[in-house]
Amino acid sequence: MKKLFSGAGGILAGLLVAFVFFGSSSLGAEEQALSSENKSNAEAVYVPHGEHDEYYLINSGGHSGQLFVYGVPSMRHIRTIPVFTPDPATGYGFDKESKEMLGGYTWGDLHHPALSETNGDYDGNFLFATDVANNRVAAIDLEDFHTVDILEVPNIGGPHCAAFVTENTEYIFLPTRFSLPFDTDYASLDDYSEEFRGVMSAVTFDQESKEFDVAYQVALPPWSYDKARAGKRDSSDWAVISTYNTEEATTNLEINASQADRDYIVLFNWKNLEERVANGEYEEFNGEKMIYPEKHKGDIYLVPVAKSPHGIDVSPDGKYFIASGKLAPAMTVFSFEKAFEAIENEDFSGERNGLPVLNYDSVMEREVDPPGALGPLHTQFDERGNAYTTMFISSEVVKWEYETGEVIDRHDVYYSPGHLVTPHGDTADPQGKYLVSLNKIAKDNFLSVGPSHPESMDLFDISGDEMRHLMSVPVNPEPHYGQMVHRDVINPFHVYEMDESNPNAVYDQNDTRIERDGDNVTVYGISMRSKFIFDAASERPDVIEVNEGDTVTMHITNTDFDQDIVHGLGIMDYDLNFEQMPGQTKTLEFVADKAGVFPIYCTNFCSALHQEMTGYLMVKPKE
Amino acid sequence: MSKKMSFQSATSLFIAAGLLIITIFLPWWGMKFYAPQYQEGLNIIVYPYKLAGEIDIVNSLNHYIGMAQFSEESFPELQFLPWIIAGLALLIVFTGLLRKMSLLYGLIGLFILGGILGIYDIRRWLVSFGTDLDPMAPITVDPFVPPIIGENTIANFVTNSYFSYGSFLLLLVFLLLLFPLWKERHQ
Repeated sequence: MKKLFSGAGGILAGLLVAFVFFGSSSLGAEEQALSSENKSNAEAVYVPHGEHDEYYLINSGGHSGQLFVYGVPSMRHIRTIPVFTPDPATGYGFDKESKEMLGGYTWGDLHHPALSETNGDYDGNFLFATDVANNRVAAIDLEDFHTVDILEVPNIGGPHCAAFVTENTEYIFLPTRFSLPFDTDYASLDDYSEEFRGVMSAVTFDQESKEFDVAYQVALPPWSYDKARAGKRDSSDWAVISTYNTEEATTNLEINASQADRDYIVLFNWKNLEERVANGEYEEFNGEKMIYPEKHKGDIYLVPVAKSPHGIDVSPDGKYFIASGKLAPAMTVFSFEKAFEAIENEDFSGERNGLPVLNYDSVMEREVDPPGALGPLHTQFDERGNAYTTMFISSEVVKWEYETGEVIDRHDVYYSPGHLVTPHGDTADPQGKYLVSLNKIAKDNFLSVGPSHPESMDLFDISGDEMRHLMSVPVNPEPHYGQMVHRDVINPFHVYEMDESNPNAVYDQNDTRIERDGDNVTVYGISMRSKFIFDAASERPDVIEVNEGDTVTMHITNTDFDQDIVHGLGIMDYDLNFEQMPGQTKTLEFVADKAGVFPIYCTNFCSALHQEMTGYLMVKPKE
Repeated sequence: MSKKMSFQSATSLFIAAGLLIITIFLPWWGMKFYAPQYQEGLNIIVYPYKLAGEIDIVNSLNHYIGMAQFSEESFPELQFLPWIIAGLALLIVFTGLLRKMSLLYGLIGLFILGGILGIYDIRRWLVSFGTDLDPMAPITVDPFVPPIIGENTIANFVTNSYFSYGSFLLLLVFLLLLFPLWKERHQ
């Protein structure tokens, strides 16, 4: 018995030793592997001081109305660009020019930024974005990353589907999310199908004068237009738009717009439309040139697609357009060439709202349905024939070959991705080095700040066969879409040049002056390290004296022509402030409707004597 | 009684005159300012007829210690220096044409005198700008005189003064003026 016990005890002890020894050492190896993978991931995203990121990532800010600029691969947030929303930090919406540009709106819903293109690739000149909430389109000059023009487009209902540019930025197209009463301001929802239209606008942008113009509009059927892309290379005269609610439902769209098994892709030839307008084949409508597709036939076709698609993307070679079936689990690859052939042969399966419907089987190239991948939304590309598609519901990115449909790799993202971005990933020349998925949900990814969470981004290295997840980062809401562009394409300047032709600018402090004309007081002043000079000849050059009720116009020029020497000008209790770049002239216009003594001070830390950079607005009370 | 110089010596003088004219369009002297915020350096570059570099930025920084503003107007030399140089060049050509050694001795003397005056002038300005500081200035620093060549530290700035291409060419002009002395030494 004793022998048995000691034998069993020996075996047990041996097992224990074996478990402790081997068990812990195998755990150690796993930890070690994880930690070395973390280290190599850290090295892949670290950008040391003195060096710069390789790519700019310019993200939409959704309902903040702003754009956010990040560096890739470090994912550092570099700058916020106010576009559709006032921004006290820069004075955007406070000074006269930007205030007029904003048109009184205090918010915007910035969705899909689009860089200007030359020969189908980003040229780094301008970035365009639309405001879904207030029907505006904006241009950001990439020489100074400031908004230079905003146009409010008439007759439209939320350009969610924009912006997308044609191959050489001939047009920026704005299809819309909502259809609205067409001939009248008000119509009953009972008459939706007859009275409503979804108007698409073709907008041009003059890069010299930096101004938008509406070239023409198209009165499309009363559906919701979701995403759109211009063709590339051989298909560059064409564009495709995804639609939903072709059911023309007017309530509870969640259910009622999800009934039909098929919705449509609108396929249109913008070169033909352009020619039609040039030939006068349009009708004047509310100040715009309107094309009615049911009257002016031959430019617009419908392609049936699995129900309620969301994203639609064009492969870099311009041969295919890929629709993602938000409610169907597959990506459908269509062939432009086959579509052109079907149009040529009038291979139609019918007509809808006066538009010919192409035969699905004639145009469809293949359906790609990775098992278990749910909710495909958007696709980007690399230069090696791969497509990368986000799966909202199964929260992953799927890498697949668009020529064969073969799935190469899949990787989780954290969590629920909407769009994704690869460098130059929507152009004819993608650079498949990185991939950023723009996620809608962050949950517990980051330090908790309570119920309000940031959105999140996942960065991948996609240079190899397998996608390598490098890191997750918080991101400002809401990253609907972004543009990732190589740093060599963007060439910003740092100091505004002297503009002697600008009547509001003063560069020599001896030219500073305050002029009075009746109730109008105009200040021609400068800001410099570390003082304001409004009137050099005055006993107190940094004081402005006006009477209660005067209209005051302040033209101020920052005369420090030195990189990153920025001044601000805030006026206490007058709710006024702006920031001024080196060499820049800005104008503030207001009515001095409050009597008293109001300090003026530099709001942007400029120098060691920044605190001393002050003055006064003296508003004499009415007698 | 004065000896006539050889053709080679005269040629040397003509070349000297040509080079002297070229120096008018080259920088003679400069000062570079480095600070933690200005790793790339700020320049004051002095040509015989103009100032170049980031003069406005240097001025906007110097005003904190009460230094007078640099400008082309504050240096009257820039108005007449090109004419003096051109005059000297003309005298050299003249000497070359007459081939008179005695005139050359005079020229060399004039050149040495000019050089001494030039260096004295730079020194005078450095003393004036470094020591005549506005007592009302926000930042009080002890008066200082930066060297004509080399480093100096003032507040967060390290300055580096140096002679530039124009001065090097000037030295070559001087050697070309001396060449006839060597060339004619046996005659």
